[in-house]
Amino acid sequence: MVTIFFFIFAVTALVSAVLMITYKNPVYSALFLILTFFSLAGMYFLLEAQFIAIVQIIVYAGAIMVLFLFVMMLLNLRQETRLPIGRPFQVALGSIFALILLIQLFFIVKVGLTVSKFGAFPPEKINKIGSVQVIGGELFTNYLFPFEAASILLLVGIIGAIILGRKKLPNEM
Amino acid sequence: MVPVNYYLIVAAILFALGVLGVLIRRNALIIFMSIELMLNAVNLTFVALARHLHSIDGQIFVFFIMTVAAAEVAVGLAIIISVFRLKGTIHVDEINLLRG
Amino acid sequence: MVGELVPILVLLAVAVVIVAGIIGLTHLFGPKHPDPVKLSPYESGMEPVGEARTRFSIRFYIIAMLFVLFDIEVVFFYPWAVVFKKLLSMGSFILIEMLVFVGLLLVGYLYAWKKGALEWD
Repeated sequence: MVTIFFFIFAVTALVSAVLMITYKNPVYSALFLILTFFSLAGMYFLLEAQFIAIVQIIVYAGAIMVLFLFVMMLLNLRQETRLPIGRPFQVALGSIFALILLIQLFFIVKVGLTVSKFGAFPPEKINKIGSVQVIGGELFTNYLFPFEAASILLLVGIIGAIILGRKKLPNEM
Repeated sequence: MVPVNYYLIVAAILFALGVLGVLIRRNALIIFMSIELMLNAVNLTFVALARHLHSIDGQIFVFFIMTVAAAEVAVGLAIIISVFRLKGTIHVDEINLLRG
Repeated sequence: MVGELVPILVLLAVAVVIVAGIIGLTHLFGPKHPDPVKLSPYESGMEPVGEARTRFSIRFYIIAMLFVLFDIEVVFFYPWAVVFKKLLSMGSFILIEMLVFVGLLLVGYLYAWKKGALEWD
């Protein structure tokens, strides 16, 4: 059952990722990327990381991709958006390098990892306590500093985006 | 029960596709989306290994990566908009000057 | 635990089947007599003006961007609210750390307000 769903999600994620990098129109690319994100959320469900799965849908598929589509409408690039894929030699060279990287990654996965010590949260324990409780308990105690640093990061994001986005050129409405 | 290696292989392929997208596409928006795809591939690795290693740290890292991704997208897209207003294009081959 | 998700899955399947069924059946059996007026977009009885893909104002982008960042903030609230009661018994640091977090984001909010990013002039 889980295996069947894993393969459905995996195939959907990979196929839509391929379509995303090959479609000329960025709006279609964005829609396929959303499909990839949903499939990844499904895989997080299968990995019993329910909270991460929901956040994936809310943040990535919901907020971030909406921002991408907004920018596409904002720029309103008619011919511009349909930029072709790079020149043939770029495609050939890029494919070779990506393939080399993929082989390296496969090699790493094949070698695998030697585990001497397991963590304190086996899946059964997480399920007993609850995914959100476990994450919250760790986040607000052991990961306190990264949590506060995240707020500074968001602050910098707000200020940066306002400064960069606020300026108007004379010919704009 | 799906072995952890399957998830890692899917994540590896997604990451390689993201790299391929960055290398072959010339549209700044799609390059940016490919970067998001790579971030997500890493997230999948984190979650799969967190479960495999009986740890919760991977999931918390994914949470922070999503925060970073949101801030990055907000600022990055603002930069793309500024570049488009200045140069009238988002074709990365034509954005080749360090000074506007 | 994955088994508990079966109801959601059934709901998802039903939703997909109903939507696909309705669209497919109307596509199969619906009469089709297209003419230019029927094919034009419906704008509450008005004559359609311009195209659907016009350039948006930058203000929409700034609002959308602020939405994304505050969305993340709310996502941080959720696990906090879940563990709040448990950790409060160990001292009030959980309250203080969230106050610091909100305080820092409030600075960003006030900055956006001061800079007029929320104005719609």
